[in-house]
Amino acid sequence: MAALGGVTIASALSGCASPTDTASGVEQLDFWHLLSGGDGVTMAGLVEKANAQGKDFDAKQTVLAWGAPYYTKLAMASVGGRGPDTAIMHASRVPGYAPGGLLEPWDLDLLAEYGVQKTDYVDRVWEKGSLNGKQYSIALDAHPFILMYNTDVAEQAGALGADGQLKKITSTDEFVDVARAMQAVTGKHGLSYGYLADGAQMWRLWYTFFKQQDAQFDLSGTSAQVDTDAGVKAFEFMQTLLDGTICTPSGDYGTALSEFLSGDSGMLFTGVWELPTVLASGIAFDAQPIPTLFGTPAAYADSHAFTLPVSDRDEKRTRATYDFVTTLLKGSFGWAQAGHIPAFQPVVNSTEYQELLPQAHYAPAAEILNYDPEAWFTGSGSDFQNFFLETCQGVLLNGSSPQAGLDAFVARIDALMAKPNPV
Amino acid sequence: MSTTTAMTTPAEGGAVREAAAEPQSLRAGKKDWRGWLFVGPFVVLFALFLVWPMIHGLYLSFTGESLTGANGQLIGFDNYAEAFSDPVMWHSLWNTVWFTVLSTIPLVVVALGLALLVHQVPGQWFWRLSFFMPYLLASTVVAQFWIWMYNPQLGLVNDFLGNFGVEPIAWLQDESWAMISVVVTTLWWTIGFNFLLYLAAIQNIPEQQFEAAALDGASRIKQAFRITIPQLWPTTVLVLILQVLASLKVFDQIYMMTNGGPAGATRPIVQYVFEVGFTGYRFGYASAISYIFFALIVLVSLVQFRITNRRNG
Repeated sequence: MAALGGVTIASALSGCASPTDTASGVEQLDFWHLLSGGDGVTMAGLVEKANAQGKDFDAKQTVLAWGAPYYTKLAMASVGGRGPDTAIMHASRVPGYAPGGLLEPWDLDLLAEYGVQKTDYVDRVWEKGSLNGKQYSIALDAHPFILMYNTDVAEQAGALGADGQLKKITSTDEFVDVARAMQAVTGKHGLSYGYLADGAQMWRLWYTFFKQQDAQFDLSGTSAQVDTDAGVKAFEFMQTLLDGTICTPSGDYGTALSEFLSGDSGMLFTGVWELPTVLASGIAFDAQPIPTLFGTPAAYADSHAFTLPVSDRDEKRTRATYDFVTTLLKGSFGWAQAGHIPAFQPVVNSTEYQELLPQAHYAPAAEILNYDPEAWFTGSGSDFQNFFLETCQGVLLNGSSPQAGLDAFVARIDALMAKPNPV
Repeated sequence: MSTTTAMTTPAEGGAVREAAAEPQSLRAGKKDWRGWLFVGPFVVLFALFLVWPMIHGLYLSFTGESLTGANGQLIGFDNYAEAFSDPVMWHSLWNTVWFTVLSTIPLVVVALGLALLVHQVPGQWFWRLSFFMPYLLASTVVAQFWIWMYNPQLGLVNDFLGNFGVEPIAWLQDESWAMISVVVTTLWWTIGFNFLLYLAAIQNIPEQQFEAAALDGASRIKQAFRITIPQLWPTTVLVLILQVLASLKVFDQIYMMTNGGPAGATRPIVQYVFEVGFTGYRFGYASAISYIFFALIVLVSLVQFRITNRRNG
C-alpha cells in the first residue's frame, strides 16, 4: 500500500517537472492503469524491466482503483487534455470512450515499425480494438472466465481422465453429476462461485452460458435485442448449481476463493487473474476453459489494452510511447505468469509459454472468447454490470423469477438507449 | 459615547453631537472598504466555489451536457420531466428519506439515553472516550470493519447469532436487511457526536435544581423527565437539525458497504447523482436531480424551522 502511494506521488511530482529530461534525451512517460494486487506487482516488474532496457523512455505508473473510479478519472483527465501518455483500459470500455474524442487512434505504420502488427494477434482480440476503421486499443492480454479444479478432489471423485485432466464434460447433467461427486468428497461443497454484490462476477458466468447457446445480445440498434429464452435457461442452470449443496447461494468473491483454496470444494469459477493466488496456496489444481454445456464453445473474456488518451504529443514523445508499449507487449511472457493469456501471439507460440502450466491448458479459451455487447455504457466495471447486479441478483440469491429479472435488466438498458449518447 | 453625551450640558450638547456624528459617519464610510478587505478573500472563494457552481449547475440542469461536452444545447425542462418519471430517481430519493428517518430517531434518542446514563455513572472520561472513539474513524475504516462483521459466512454477527440457532443472514446482500445493517453501522459510528452535545448540555444544568427536586422527593427518573429533558430542548433542536442534514447527505458508508445494492435497495440520491454524472457521463441530468434534492432539503429545513420556532414561541 505504501509502495502504491509512493508510485502515485512520484508521478504527481513528475508532472511538475519538465516532461523531458533533456540531459539524457529520455522521455518521462505517464502510464495509468488499474491493476492492483498480484497483477499490480507483476505490472510494476514489467515496467521496471522495460525502463531498464536503456531505451528513450522512462515510464512512471499511476495506479488507480479498479472500475468506476479509474474510468471516471481517466475520462475527466482526457476531456481536460491532461491524459497520461498511455493508459490501460478494458477493451470492452473502448467503445464508450473512443467516439467522444477521449482517445486517439494508433498509427499502425508506426506500430509496425516497432514490430507489432495485426498478424501478431488473434482476429477476435485485434478486431475488438478497432472502431470505424481505426485502431483505438492494442490488447496486452485476454483474460477469460475459466474453471479451476482441485485435482486431488477430482481424482477421488473419479472425474479425472487418463491424462490427469478433468474428463470432458458436455452437458449440464454431466456437470451436475461431477459437482455432486466432488461434494461427496469434500463433505462441504462441490463448486465455489462468488457473486454477491458483484455484478461483474454474475455477468461473467451468465454470459458464458448465454453465449454457449449461440444467443444474441445486440445493443447496436435503438433498443436491446436479447434472446431472453437463452438467458432464462442460463439462469435456471445457475439456480440448479446454487442449491446450497453443490454451491452456496450466498458466496461472495472472497469467500468462494478461500473455500476453494482450503479444499472445501472441488471446482471454482473464476477469472484467470486469480492464478497467482491459487498457485501460492500450494493446492494441487489444474485449469481449463469452462466446459461447453450448451453446445457452442464460448467463454466470457475481456482484454487489458493500451490506449492513447487525448494529450499533446510531439513526434519524440509519440515515438517514446510506442516504443514503451511495444516493449511491454514483447515482454508479456511475464504477464502470462500472472495468469493472463498474452494477446501478442509470438509470446503465446513460444515453447516457453507452451510449457507453462496450467496456463497452456486454458489458453484455447482465447479462440472462443466473447466480449461484452458493444455500447457506450457496457464493459468491465461499467454501469451495465451494475444494472445486471441490481436487477438479477435476486434470481441467484432468493431464486426469484429469471424472466422477471431479465425483463427488468432489458428495461433498464432500453431506458438508457432511448437517451442521446453522451459520448 | 452615550455617557459622554449624557454628561454634557444641553447647550454644548448640540455641538458635541455634531462632532460625534462626523467620525461616526466617517467610520461608517470607512467600514465599507475596510470591511470588504477582511471578508474579501472569503467572498471570492465563496463566489467561486459555491455560488458559481450553484448557478452553473442550475444552468446545466436545463441542458443535455455530458462529460465530453456533447449535447450541450438547452433542452428546457426535459431533464426535470425525465427525473420525475424516472423510477430509479424516486427509489433513490425514497431511500435517502427512509435512511434519514431510520437513522435520525435512534441517533437522537439513544444519544440522549447514553448521555443521561453516563451523567449518573462514575468514570465519565472512560464512557466519553469509548462512545466518541468510533466517530474519529474514517468512513472507509468503519465500512471495512462492518463489511467483515456482516460477512454471511465468516462474519462475527452471524457467528454470534448462530449460537442461538439463527440461520446465516446475508446482511448487506439481502434487500430486507441491507438498509437496517447500514443504519446500525451509522449509529455505532456517529452517535458519539450527539452524545457529547447532550452530555455537555446536561452538565450545564445547575446542580441546585436537582438538589431542590430531591428535597421535594422527586425520584431520579422524575428528575430526568421533569428537569433534564425539558432543559435540553435547545440542544435537541440543534442535534435534530444537524442530524437530519447529515443523514440526508448520506453517501460514503453506503457506497462502500453495498454500493447502493442490493437491487438499489440502499442507493441514496447522492449516489444516484454521482452515478448519472460521473459514471454515466450525463452532467445535465445529474444537475437536475441535484436541484430536485436541493428542493427537498429546503422543504425539510422549512418544516423543521416552523416546528422548532413554534415550540420555542
